[in-house]
Amino acid sequence: MTSDEGWIHPNEETQPFFDGANEGVLRLQRCNKCDTWMYPFKRRCQHCGSSDLTWQDASGTGTIYTHAKLHRQHHPRHEGKLPVVIAWIDLDEGVRMPSNLVASDSGEPRAGKSVRVTFETDPGGNAFPVFELV
Amino acid sequence: MHPMNSATAVCGLGITDMGRVYRSAQELAIEAVYLALEDAGLAKNELDGLLINSGITPGVDLQLHSALGLQELNVLTFMQGFGSSAGQMLEYAAMAVHNGLANYVCCVFADSPLKENKRTGAAYSNRLGTNPIAALMGIYGFAGANAMFALAAQRHMDLYGTTQEQLGQVAVSQRQWAHMNERATKRDPLDMETYHESPWVVEPFHVLDCCLVTNGGVAVIVTTADRAKDLQQPPVYLRGFAQGHNHDTGFTNVDALVRGPGEKIAAKALHMADAKIDDITQCQLYDCYTYTVIETLEDYGFCAKGEGGAFVEGGRLGPGGSLPTNTGGGSLSSYYMWGMTPVSEGIIQGRAQGGERQAPNDLILVTGNGGILNYQAALVLSPTPA
Repeated sequence: MTSDEGWIHPNEETQPFFDGANEGVLRLQRCNKCDTWMYPFKRRCQHCGSSDLTWQDASGTGTIYTHAKLHRQHHPRHEGKLPVVIAWIDLDEGVRMPSNLVASDSGEPRAGKSVRVTFETDPGGNAFPVFELV
Repeated sequence: MHPMNSATAVCGLGITDMGRVYRSAQELAIEAVYLALEDAGLAKNELDGLLINSGITPGVDLQLHSALGLQELNVLTFMQGFGSSAGQMLEYAAMAVHNGLANYVCCVFADSPLKENKRTGAAYSNRLGTNPIAALMGIYGFAGANAMFALAAQRHMDLYGTTQEQLGQVAVSQRQWAHMNERATKRDPLDMETYHESPWVVEPFHVLDCCLVTNGGVAVIVTTADRAKDLQQPPVYLRGFAQGHNHDTGFTNVDALVRGPGEKIAAKALHMADAKIDDITQCQLYDCYTYTVIETLEDYGFCAKGEGGAFVEGGRLGPGGSLPTNTGGGSLSSYYMWGMTPVSEGIIQGRAQGGERQAPNDLILVTGNGGILNYQAALVLSPTPA
């Protein structure tokens, strides 16, 4: 599925995350001991230190923690698409993750507004999560 | 009284040429140390402590002691706390000389990120490796510190109604100070219209919201108060200090982009100095961005959280304002030497050597910020001991 033309080259640790994305779900690690969710990959729980972690499907919904507009190209993906809206998303699972807000008909981004996950695909065929206002 | 209050003082300050000075970072560090020795009137062999902090370019490391030919060091280490390093170095130096580990400890920072024929922004652009999660950050466009602090500023704006105009007020006030600083890189007058017309980098930041990437070096020598009194420069006493470090864990219960460690350490530094926040007569605040100044004023209690935008209006921080702040122009208009920018101007002001830009210096608050409001060091300086 992937090729050298892609921007994303999943490794063993992150393969479940990208497998999830290719299936259209946001898949994250969760601690079996204290139930804390995490992003990105960890070997031990950031909360309790347990190494008993599993991958689970998250809801893909949350709110905007904050957002900003990138006006200068930093990646081939941004070509012709500037400004790109970068954002920290607070997932309902209690995880804060970096992402983009992509165009939707639901108005301007603002801290606290509700969002849901959607996916884009890199030139190598690897999907990755972005978010849109709901 | 706290035993560290006024126990130590700055006796030497070395500042190299600043800006597009195309020399290696190590050369700039060495130059800064010699300038500080000369400033203090000390011989090289009297220096028995060296604390070293590097910027983003390699070459400023433990080998500096042999490059300087220092044979008699009792204290030597390399430190890294990013923008909080400068303040931290002075704190460790003060503790070392106060406890007799060394007599004169030099704290040095140098960086040389600007290269000939390369644009400024290239120096601090993202250096993300091949890890797929890091690659994802590049794909999203998390373009280094500019993006991270723009995200922080936007949250402050969304939560508290802070305006673009208020960010601009910080840039305008500091440029007024820079106009009076011969070392400053940008001295031309800046008005609000020019600020608003400045190109976007990461909105809400214009180019003029961002600090000036700079080549240069700064060195500061700390000794005991007793020794400092007999040297050629007026002593600048360390009345109080503290440091604190937050970690944005990636969990949703920490609001680290609008609340820095300064909230926790302000009281500690002021307690050591036996002072209240209202006693502070001027500030030298870490200003990697305009926003950082507004956020820091709130953290330290000059105004309530969320009121920093209104606080900086009306030129309060500028010449003639009631809280002179970043009186050399700061990192936005003079030079960006990480935490050494506020430290160096705090020393100049503490010695009353600010010339035209000299502000009331009874009690000077100096802050350093590292990471994205993660690491913080605070100093309270004064020309008079407690």
